[in-house]
Amino acid sequence: MGHKTYFHIKQTGRNLRHNWPTQLMTVMTISLSVLIFSFFLLIYLNIVNAGSRLGDELRLIVYLNEEVQPEARPMYENKIRDFGKVERIEFISRAEAFERLGRQLDSEKDVLADLGPDFLPPSIEVYPQRNMRNLTGLKQFSDYLTTLPSADKVQYGQSWMEKFGYFIELLRVIVILSGVLLIMATVFMVSSTIRLTVVAKEAELEVLRLVGADNKFIQTPLLIEGIMQGIIGSACGLLLLYLIFQWTTGHLSGPGFLNMLDFSFFPPKTTAIIAASSVLLCVGGSMISIRKHMRI
Amino acid sequence: MVDNGSTPAGSIPRNNQKPVLIKMLKSFPDDMPIVDIVKATKVYPPDIIAVQNVSLAVGKGELVFLTGMSGAGKTTLLKMICCIERPTKGVIEVAGNDLSRIRQSEIQKLRRQIGVVYQDFKILPRQTVYENIAIPMEVMYRSPKVIRKRVGQLLEILGITHKREVQAAKLSRGEQQRVAIARAAANAPPLILADEPTGNLDQEASGYVMELFEQLNKSGSTVIIATHDESIYRKSRHRTVELAHGLFSGHVGHRQLPLINA
Ligand SMILES: Nc1ncnc2c1ncn2[C@@H]1O[C@H](COP(=O)(O)OP(=O)(O)O)[C@@H](O)[C@H]1O
Ligand SMILES: [Mg+2]
Repeated sequence: MGHKTYFHIKQTGRNLRHNWPTQLMTVMTISLSVLIFSFFLLIYLNIVNAGSRLGDELRLIVYLNEEVQPEARPMYENKIRDFGKVERIEFISRAEAFERLGRQLDSEKDVLADLGPDFLPPSIEVYPQRNMRNLTGLKQFSDYLTTLPSADKVQYGQSWMEKFGYFIELLRVIVILSGVLLIMATVFMVSSTIRLTVVAKEAELEVLRLVGADNKFIQTPLLIEGIMQGIIGSACGLLLLYLIFQWTTGHLSGPGFLNMLDFSFFPPKTTAIIAASSVLLCVGGSMISIRKHMRI
Repeated sequence: MVDNGSTPAGSIPRNNQKPVLIKMLKSFPDDMPIVDIVKATKVYPPDIIAVQNVSLAVGKGELVFLTGMSGAGKTTLLKMICCIERPTKGVIEVAGNDLSRIRQSEIQKLRRQIGVVYQDFKILPRQTVYENIAIPMEVMYRSPKVIRKRVGQLLEILGITHKREVQAAKLSRGEQQRVAIARAAANAPPLILADEPTGNLDQEASGYVMELFEQLNKSGSTVIIATHDESIYRKSRHRTVELAHGLFSGHVGHRQLPLINA
């Protein structure tokens, strides 16, 4: 029968006409929840992204109290690789360290004139593999490296890494919380709107049952209602976030924090996933309500 | 909430018996009673006996008047036939389907084949006359064109064409009653149950309504009309059965079908 969809949509239209203020409230709540959630998610993803880019330059520097002789190098390398996979190991002698510093200072090179080339300690620079680049991994690695012969101390920007790690952790908690908020608000709003629809249409639903309407005829419009709330709500929320993003990046252009982070919007796939999940949540809310109030 | 209270108007309680697929009313053999009530008793809580030990067989294609004073149990009997109430005792079969053994989804199927004019109309006050009459056809997913045509036809027969787009709440009782009748007749169902269909109508409108029922009956519908309006059945050639205090009294119409009183 080709008219089914027509009647389901017509019935949905009647429902919407019936209680549009409630519907509007629901759509607004969903948009706001989507906005809050995706806002934090956007920040989180960008910070994580920035962190991983910074992480590319991540290395552990083992300062030694004496020069490593070329024939001792394989021994050191083996010991280091015993702990875990390593991308690259570089041995820096006193002379090389001094030369590097000189290159960095460039024009102010003369300040080094008084200091001998022995002024800097020799070191080994260890570039760990990607999967090792987390706080606990680095800590363990650094503890291990301290046990190398004639190792003085190990440095990897501990305090910075730690702070950054906590920051990311905090953001993650916020993202999760706002996700929970999104889920609860959406499901609650959608299901209570449908409950209101059902209550307001009690007489009509009774008549529909009396003339033998099947469950589909009664439930499909309610489901469509939920899906529409999800689509409109998430579209509004994401659009709002996009506008905020555009405005912010437009006004904070130039050399600033955002540029340093290379702040970017969600890729289309993520956007689609957020929208689809909100719609799914709405379907869930509708189903809960339909099940509860209509005794399938 | 759709279903609440002890006697929900939309459902009868599930039972644990094996569900049976319902037989269609249209394809039911002509020579068997399409409605077969055997020793049905209905007791409303706590102990109101509305129908007592009533048996009635209505042949396919028959038009029957169910008469009796108010309180005799006519409405209850009709409600049992369309599964709004279930009998406390006894068996009711519609087109060979034992109503106590069919499940909810089957009841929906059955109801789509029965047009009911409720004594209290049960029309939707906020919807228009047109929308009210269209409901049973929409539920059957009839094409919008067919619906438009059929609604127009019914409005014409019942003399309320000019009220087509009026909200049902703004109609007089008599007009509302005709909307209820048009809705019951919309699908030209194989079985029509009408509860006091002329209760609020003047003689002219009663005439239209009876004409409609006669027409439907001629084209194959079985019609059961519960009424205490003597004027519509007195001179009728159709069978009349009388209920009195939940029991059939002796008077039975010209066509004697199995009808047992105990
Ligand atoms: N839902 C109900 N609950 C309790 N008693 C009822 C209910 N419906 C009808 N009755 C009683 O059952 C008897 C028969 O009522 P009814 O079937 O409406 O008769 P009629 O339609 O012939 O006037 C009456 O005494 C009425 O008060
Ligand atoms: Mg009655």
